[in-house]
Amino acid sequence: MEEEILELLSAEFPEVDFTASDELVDDGLLDSLTITGIIATLSMEYDIEIPYEEIIEENFNSIAGLASMVERLQEN
Amino acid sequence: MTFVTITFFLFLAVAFLCYFVMPKQHRWLVLLAFSIAFYLFAGWEKFLFVLASALIAYLVGRKGTKSSLVFGIVSIVLLLFYAKAGNSILAAFQMKESIIVPLGISYYSFSIIGYMLDVYYKKIECEKNFFAFLLYMIYFPQILEGPIPRYKKLAPQLMEGHEFSYERFCFGAQRALWGYFKKLVIADRIALYTGEVFSNYKDYSGIYFFVAVLLSSLQLYTDFSGCMDIALGVSQCFGITLDENFRRPFFSKNAAEFWRRWHITLGTWFKDYVYMHLAIHPKLLKLSKLAKDKVGKRFGKSLITIIPLAVVWLLTGLWHGTGADYILWGCYWGIIIILSTVFAKEWKQVNQFLKIDGNSKGFSRFQMIRTFFVFSGARLLTAPGDLKVSAYMFRHMFSLWSFREFFTKGALVGILSVWDVVIVIIGTLILWKVDLLQEQGVEIRKKIGQYPIPLRWVFYYGLFFATLVFGIYGPGYQASDFVYIQF
Repeated sequence: MEEEILELLSAEFPEVDFTASDELVDDGLLDSLTITGIIATLSMEYDIEIPYEEIIEENFNSIAGLASMVERLQEN
Repeated sequence: MTFVTITFFLFLAVAFLCYFVMPKQHRWLVLLAFSIAFYLFAGWEKFLFVLASALIAYLVGRKGTKSSLVFGIVSIVLLLFYAKAGNSILAAFQMKESIIVPLGISYYSFSIIGYMLDVYYKKIECEKNFFAFLLYMIYFPQILEGPIPRYKKLAPQLMEGHEFSYERFCFGAQRALWGYFKKLVIADRIALYTGEVFSNYKDYSGIYFFVAVLLSSLQLYTDFSGCMDIALGVSQCFGITLDENFRRPFFSKNAAEFWRRWHITLGTWFKDYVYMHLAIHPKLLKLSKLAKDKVGKRFGKSLITIIPLAVVWLLTGLWHGTGADYILWGCYWGIIIILSTVFAKEWKQVNQFLKIDGNSKGFSRFQMIRTFFVFSGARLLTAPGDLKVSAYMFRHMFSLWSFREFFTKGALVGILSVWDVVIVIIGTLILWKVDLLQEQGVEIRKKIGQYPIPLRWVFYYGLFFATLVFGIYGPGYQASDFVYIQF
């Protein structure tokens, strides 16, 4: 799942190096426009709804965090 | 009572004394008592509004249900709408009465809406003590013009009970003094010029309008950021850190960056509580997917940026005022920011085509000047106070440029004296140098603190006496209200 998401997001947002940090939000690599873009991409690709409560640094700081959030939301 | 009155200084002296004399665990009660007293100076009727709003938000937080949240937000927004549009509605019905406008309603309304949403989305625990909640809402250094606080950051600091720290107290006082310098020496002096030109616009044209609009940009910056320096400085003396509201906005290279540096707490509020909610809304995502399939990938993707940004900028305009001037102002910024975001790739290509080095110093300076002019364009819409006057000024701005008249009888003698012009120029140069040093990462107060005592006191006394001697105030003159109080 992690590799799949990395490939998907790297294609959508070529200007962002998602492997550069494990604290993408805290390090300022993801701004609000990119975060909403990521949410849109993941929602459409995996047919999930990402609720507002899930928009926390922990979920967006790394590909691993994003993958774990997607898996959790797919199970629900 | 505003920050530029003798009453405020006396009030502050007693507040500091009581705060640091009181046992630590009760110090928050001193802040509460003085915040209520500060508010009561504005009128007890206004305080009833605040009390009602506090009660609504407090109970919504305790209840934590969706229906109570909706009720809370609708009630607070209606009260805000009443304050913003009430007088215009009365005037439309030709009624002479005016409504009671609670002090700082735009600021505290947003802070408590944020609180209710944060509690509902379980980002914070609800406050159980009503009086602690009331203090968070009306803490007096921030009630006039913000910054708009976040409960998670401010509430624990208010309740803590801070030790007196000489260094922190000095730093806070220095920052407040710098704020007074900006407000009294620069902003209020410029206000003499802009006030005259905007009020008697029929007597002026050409270069006067051009200079008045550019100066009004500088006036707003020194007025609002000066007030923030006072608020943050006073609060620092108590040991309480408020959020920064400015980060040298005139060094911004584009409109989006400008709004990340200007009125920061309003921008982040809209980002967190409006933009994010809209941008991830399932209905918008569905629409975006549909647009992607029917029109094209880029258009579909852009929709999740365009629609939330358009709503945010319309609301930002309405937050400032419900008149046509502020609605147009919101549209102006919205269009510029949407176009620069959606067509970012094309702007880059244009630069490449024109062989412009985007990282060069010269281009950076050009971008900063361009941003200042974009900001001044927005000032032209709102600073005169009436769109008809704005339109008149725009029509006449590019005609009859008489430099001779401007420098002989106009700017120097008719409106401002030579002395006033010199003070504005020197004050602005000092401001520019300070902002530049801060932009380069220099912590000025720390740096001055490292100088030998005689040199240090030259700076402190220099600033103090410059404000005292060159500030616009004194018998027969009423210091202007801070511009952002009206919002």
